[in-house]
Amino acid sequence: MLDHDNLARCALRRSEAPVAKRTTSPFLQFIAINSVGKTFAARTGSSISVLDCVDLTIAENEFVSFVGRSGCGKTTLLNIIAGLEDATQGQITIAGRPVTGPGQGQGVVFQQHALFPWLTAVDNVAFGFRKSGLNKTDRRQKAMDLLTLVGLEAAASKYPREMSGGMQQRVSIARALALDPQILLMDEPFGALDELTRIELQHELLRIWEAQRKTVVFVTHSINEALMLSDRIVLLAPNPGRIKRVFDVDLPRPRSRTEPRFNALYEEIWDELST
Amino acid sequence: MMRRFPQIAPPLIALAILLVAWELGVRYGFLKPYQFPPVSRIASGFVELSTIGFPTGVSIWSHTLTTLVRVLLGYVGALALAIPLGVVIGSFQVLDKLTAPLVVFCRSVATLSLLPLVIVWFGAGELTKVFLIGYGCFWVMLSNVIAGVRYVDPVLVRAARTFGLHGGELFRRVVLPAALPRIFAGARMALGVGFMVIVGAEMIGTIEGLGALIMEARTFYRSEITIIGMLIIGVIGFAISAGLTALERLLLPWAGNLDAVRR
Repeated sequence: MLDHDNLARCALRRSEAPVAKRTTSPFLQFIAINSVGKTFAARTGSSISVLDCVDLTIAENEFVSFVGRSGCGKTTLLNIIAGLEDATQGQITIAGRPVTGPGQGQGVVFQQHALFPWLTAVDNVAFGFRKSGLNKTDRRQKAMDLLTLVGLEAAASKYPREMSGGMQQRVSIARALALDPQILLMDEPFGALDELTRIELQHELLRIWEAQRKTVVFVTHSINEALMLSDRIVLLAPNPGRIKRVFDVDLPRPRSRTEPRFNALYEEIWDELST
Repeated sequence: MMRRFPQIAPPLIALAILLVAWELGVRYGFLKPYQFPPVSRIASGFVELSTIGFPTGVSIWSHTLTTLVRVLLGYVGALALAIPLGVVIGSFQVLDKLTAPLVVFCRSVATLSLLPLVIVWFGAGELTKVFLIGYGCFWVMLSNVIAGVRYVDPVLVRAARTFGLHGGELFRRVVLPAALPRIFAGARMALGVGFMVIVGAEMIGTIEGLGALIMEARTFYRSEITIIGMLIIGVIGFAISAGLTALERLLLPWAGNLDAVRR
């Protein structure tokens, strides 16, 4: 699994252009992304590099956002952490264990709600308890608790098509929480929502994150959203997808979009993104 | 109810005017009755058919029953084969790619063009008719089942994988339910095909059945009987299709956004 050429190449890259301080403390390395690369074979016989030499560590309970233009590989990186795609180079470990597939403590919320249309809200959430060993009654009871957590206990018997986009994403979050995941991976979860619903759900997510103490990795197009939510913002650049810079968001919560520091950071990230 | 009345009134009035004009047109010699049988003739023809029968002794109800049994035998047989086979083919990309040309080819062959060949195989008896109906229904159903199983929204499969589902459980819990609306749509389309095939399939070797009735009426210039046969096939097809839709609403209450596929 360890590809020494790749490791050496990435180490060289790091020394030439450091993007962030690296930590060696295992406590701060809850998720360790080591020299991860992903290449696809193109039809012409050449290969396309979607991700190259991605090195990043994420601490337990940290809220980290991936920001970048389309094609910078942020969703691919999230999928590799989720175990839904394989890295072609390098390795990711969660709490020291290499990621070999889904179901190692990663809960995923997708951009499009990925709810099962044939199940009601409560049954969709209960689906998340399938592998928990609980019986049906307990699964439903726990699912109801989670729906209450996301404020949807009244919509328990609705089918996804009967719910608004915001409600669907709330149910998606509740379903992901059913796994009691250590890590919540979110791929532009609020991207398709209107502005008001989006802000509402951002607050909701922070509340849940603070109450449940999860590690969150959040992919977004929106610098604003990343600044509202994250402890750190990882800026990715395309061709090939790589980490360009990591920003610490040293703002106390709840945050305000009107704070001078918020705007200064916004400008800084925007500059980095557009150069 | 009061509000809906004015909406259905204009087409009803238009239809009534058309029928009266038709009737008068025949009475005053503008239209030939064997080309355009008027309502009065259709009505009296219906009375004759349900009492004396045509040919004598075979009432319209026994024609209808015969046809219904043939269509249902062929239809149910086709579904019973096409559903499991389609599920298997749809589950394996290799099988789908291998069989796709054959499925498209067989579905495109006009079922009735097989009539001479099928008569050679099975004679001119019941089996031929049931087989032809079955053939028509089978390929339509098969291609829909394959498509339903094959093109399940990949994000649902991903989501299910994050909950640790794979293999048979993934298939049973996610792929099959996701394919059900398409399978139902296929069942409705196949039924339509069954009723399209029946008239042709009953042209040969029988005097019973609505198709045979229609052909027999032609020989005797009894055009009104042809129209009665047509109307009854239409009504049965409509009723069964409505029944299937109701069944789908009952079994798949979640698939409410499929109204466009429903017709």
